[in-house]
Amino acid sequence: MVSRILIANRGEIALRVLRACRTLGIEAVVAYSEADRASLPAMLADEAICIGPADARRSYLSAPAIISAALVTGCDAIHPGYGFLSEDDAFADAVRAHGLTFIGPPANVLERFASKEETRRLLAAHGLPTIPGSGLLLDEAQALEDAERVGYPVLVKPSAGGGGKGMRMVRSPRELAAVLPICRSEAKAGFGDDSLYLERWLEDNRHVEVQVAVDRFGHGVHLWERDCSVQRRHQKILEESPSPAMTPAGRLELAERAIKAVVAAGYENVGTLEFLVDNDGNAYFIEINCRIQVEHPLTEVLTGIDLVATQIRIASGEPLGFNQEDVPQRGHAIEFRINAEDPAHEFRPGAGTIERLNIPGGPGVRFDSHAYTGYEVPPYYDSLLGKLIVWGPTRETAIARGRAALNELVVEGVVTNAAIHRALLSSQPFLDGKFTTNLLDRVGAAAFLAGAERAG
Amino acid sequence: MPEPHRPGDRSAAQRQADHAGLARLSETLVPALVSKLNASGLGELEVREGEWRIRLRRPAGSVAGGRRAERPRLGVHVPGHVPTQAAGAAATLAATLAAPSGNPAGPDASPRREAATSPAVGIFRPGAGVGTRVRAGDRIAIVDLLGIPQDVVAPIDGIVVDVLAQGGDAVEYGEEVAVVEAVPEMRAAGDDDPADREA
Repeated sequence: MVSRILIANRGEIALRVLRACRTLGIEAVVAYSEADRASLPAMLADEAICIGPADARRSYLSAPAIISAALVTGCDAIHPGYGFLSEDDAFADAVRAHGLTFIGPPANVLERFASKEETRRLLAAHGLPTIPGSGLLLDEAQALEDAERVGYPVLVKPSAGGGGKGMRMVRSPRELAAVLPICRSEAKAGFGDDSLYLERWLEDNRHVEVQVAVDRFGHGVHLWERDCSVQRRHQKILEESPSPAMTPAGRLELAERAIKAVVAAGYENVGTLEFLVDNDGNAYFIEINCRIQVEHPLTEVLTGIDLVATQIRIASGEPLGFNQEDVPQRGHAIEFRINAEDPAHEFRPGAGTIERLNIPGGPGVRFDSHAYTGYEVPPYYDSLLGKLIVWGPTRETAIARGRAALNELVVEGVVTNAAIHRALLSSQPFLDGKFTTNLLDRVGAAAFLAGAERAG
Repeated sequence: MPEPHRPGDRSAAQRQADHAGLARLSETLVPALVSKLNASGLGELEVREGEWRIRLRRPAGSVAGGRRAERPRLGVHVPGHVPTQAAGAAATLAATLAAPSGNPAGPDASPRREAATSPAVGIFRPGAGVGTRVRAGDRIAIVDLLGIPQDVVAPIDGIVVDVLAQGGDAVEYGEEVAVVEAVPEMRAAGDDDPADREA
């Protein structure tokens, strides 16, 4: 097992990794940028080291700074968290070349799954259904030709990265031609790679993902699914598990196919396979995330398995230590992403000092957050302030606990999106378990909030 | 170029408050913090009070399995004073004194001082020693970032009056590693005029 981990990330996930280290008896060093000097993970770590200025390109995205920090603080491993360098195979390779352990899939595995377009083909060959789509787009003429073949509407997607950046849905050749340069530049800026491909757009789809864990010896389990259909502009807002859109037989079949395919394709460590599920319950593989995900606590509360600890154990070369029958899916869980953004003003991200903070509690309530009273939310990074996770034996109980917890949550000094969560918990499509990925965008967030207020 | 702050920017009352504060720090607060840091598993401890900022940090590596049982290093940041040795209750402490506002200023008599900071996280390699005359922008030391030397540059024209890190020390980004003191006659020679530099 590794003995001292450099946490090369910030915010709630840095704290989450720190907690996993503590429970495993591993020392944790937090690498922080100048903007995060007074952050909770930097203050709580066994040691904290400043790696660069606020600009992430010179701190959290700087492989030399991070590796150097790990070496000079005597670490033997690096945990990249999510985002930043978490799925960068060149970084993972450099970490290994300096004699350090990368907490995640080995570099060659990351490389194999780096291209979304190639991964689709690889996993299709191992039995996963995929959405009709194109190969990488060479130029506009070929994109238009491919789009005709795939059939409009189509989704333009960057082959690298995630999080909705560089993604656009288009309904006509003219729209496609207009968005191609925008998507290319967004993908280039976001992920350093401007390759794009097309996917057929499924109206009214749901986003369902399967969590997997595979050790170095090819022993793998699935940890069931999460439903991330509540999205705004391809950004997840609220997630739940199990998916209300799937039958017990359907989710079991999907999870079993997913783990079988990734084990066969040589995946290693913790990962997530994302699927779109259409109105008829058909699931199509879209991409794999080779890292811990924001919404991983849902799986932890349903299965009782610490996913970050599992990542660390697998990367240390240990066997998984449990089998499929040891992975229950108990009850129902919902995660609310609490972001420092204003739902009344187009979700404009905010910064400022948290003047007052009340964290909800009670049975089945978990709050993963780096926020504290007096914390200055820096304007340089993403707006995630924390994650409220509620669990109940049934979906109804989880929703009731969610309402109670959201009412207890107080964040003053910084605007949050808590209002959208309260609105979701009183929206009929959500209560019916029929939320789709495009619902919020179609209705418009402002109209959605207003509607919930009238109904409430 | 904006005119740098001069020593005269601070009032006598402010300076007196600094002295009183420094005395209080070294007598009471610092020993208490040192024992707190020693008792805890923390690598770093920072306390703010008004304009004062005190940061205690264990040397990198000392937490790891206790390979190096070094004493915590203390940086007390006070406007415009030279580094001094302060004996704490439990440790020998190097008190580094500099302005929290980033604009060094000091008592009337003492010339302007500015700290050179590390441009990267890495291993410190000393260059210009104490007493070396330097020009702003001169390389005065190196920080080894995975074998690639990163220049520590002099922030102002003057003389290196202190080197705060030792060769082989782990330093973090932005860490103060040397102090340069302005030399009035060098400024008098017109070096501060950008037009002269162009010529």
